[in-house]
Amino acid sequence: MDASTPRSTAPVDDDAPLDPRDALALLDAEHTRTQRQLVPDLRLLYGVWGAAWLVGFLALWSSATGRGPLVLPAAVAGTTFALLLGAAVVVTGVHSARRLAGVRGTSSTQGAMYGWAWLLGFGCVASLIAAAAGAGASAEVMGVLGPALSGLVVGLLYLAGGAMWQDRAQYSLGVWILVASAVGAVAGYPTDLLVMSLLGGGGFLVAAVVVALRGRSA
Amino acid sequence: MTTDEVALPDLDPVIHAPARLRLMASLAALDDGDRIAFPRLQALQDLTAGNLGAHLRKLEDAGYVAVEKTHRGRTPATYVSLTRRGRQALEDHTAALRALLAPVTARASRSQAQEG
Repeated sequence: MDASTPRSTAPVDDDAPLDPRDALALLDAEHTRTQRQLVPDLRLLYGVWGAAWLVGFLALWSSATGRGPLVLPAAVAGTTFALLLGAAVVVTGVHSARRLAGVRGTSSTQGAMYGWAWLLGFGCVASLIAAAAGAGASAEVMGVLGPALSGLVVGLLYLAGGAMWQDRAQYSLGVWILVASAVGAVAGYPTDLLVMSLLGGGGFLVAAVVVALRGRSA
Repeated sequence: MTTDEVALPDLDPVIHAPARLRLMASLAALDDGDRIAFPRLQALQDLTAGNLGAHLRKLEDAGYVAVEKTHRGRTPATYVSLTRRGRQALEDHTAALRALLAPVTARASRSQAQEG
């Protein structure tokens, strides 16, 4: 083994002068490539959350109504829902941590503050739901509160993220999730579960496709 | 036709080598006020630690990058960022490359802009 063998992706001679056209192309490609590597891939995140909402909420709705493709015992449906959302949380956390690793400064402070906003928001949702149950809320009220409060937090945080990073697709997703949550709440339990599955989960999947198409044209 | 024989802009030899050009472009992709850890930069650039260190030293000597040695707990950590001078040098270099490629069109549009 020759230790001085150049790495496969490196040019043979690191100090060879470049043709101006090649140099400009290299500058552009490297800039774009690095920018993409340092932010989470939203196609992946939206795709994972879209699948989790679509299947998870559909399982809850099916088991509550006895209709649809995923009629499961209530406990199994609840566990499926929890596992799917838990998996989405883990994928989001691991992927984001990897992409943001090793960068310090303004953008990492911004990212950390935004990450904490999700944690604090859902901590608050959990305590509100527990408080409502403690105050004697009926199963119907609980069935409306859970999805609606979660959708409210998700929608508002995507509005904030879209505004902060000047990302129109993310802002639109926030608007869409808020609309889906409001429509679901008005429809009442258990129809709200179907609304969150199709409009909410479907909205995430559409957003994933929009981001993928945007990336290809850029 | 002496007007076409304008002096071609000089290309900065510190930047105009493939590895350092890539490195500068990569560092310029960081937001202003951000710095990147040496191992992450090494992974992004797919260079050996020795190679990356040598290129960074040349860029640091020119005042284009800032290399900050710090500690995270007990382990030493090195963070790299583009200096304001480095960002300016890269912009000048990009402009020089564009001028080399299209001297005629660049001058034509400039004179058009002056007329308009």
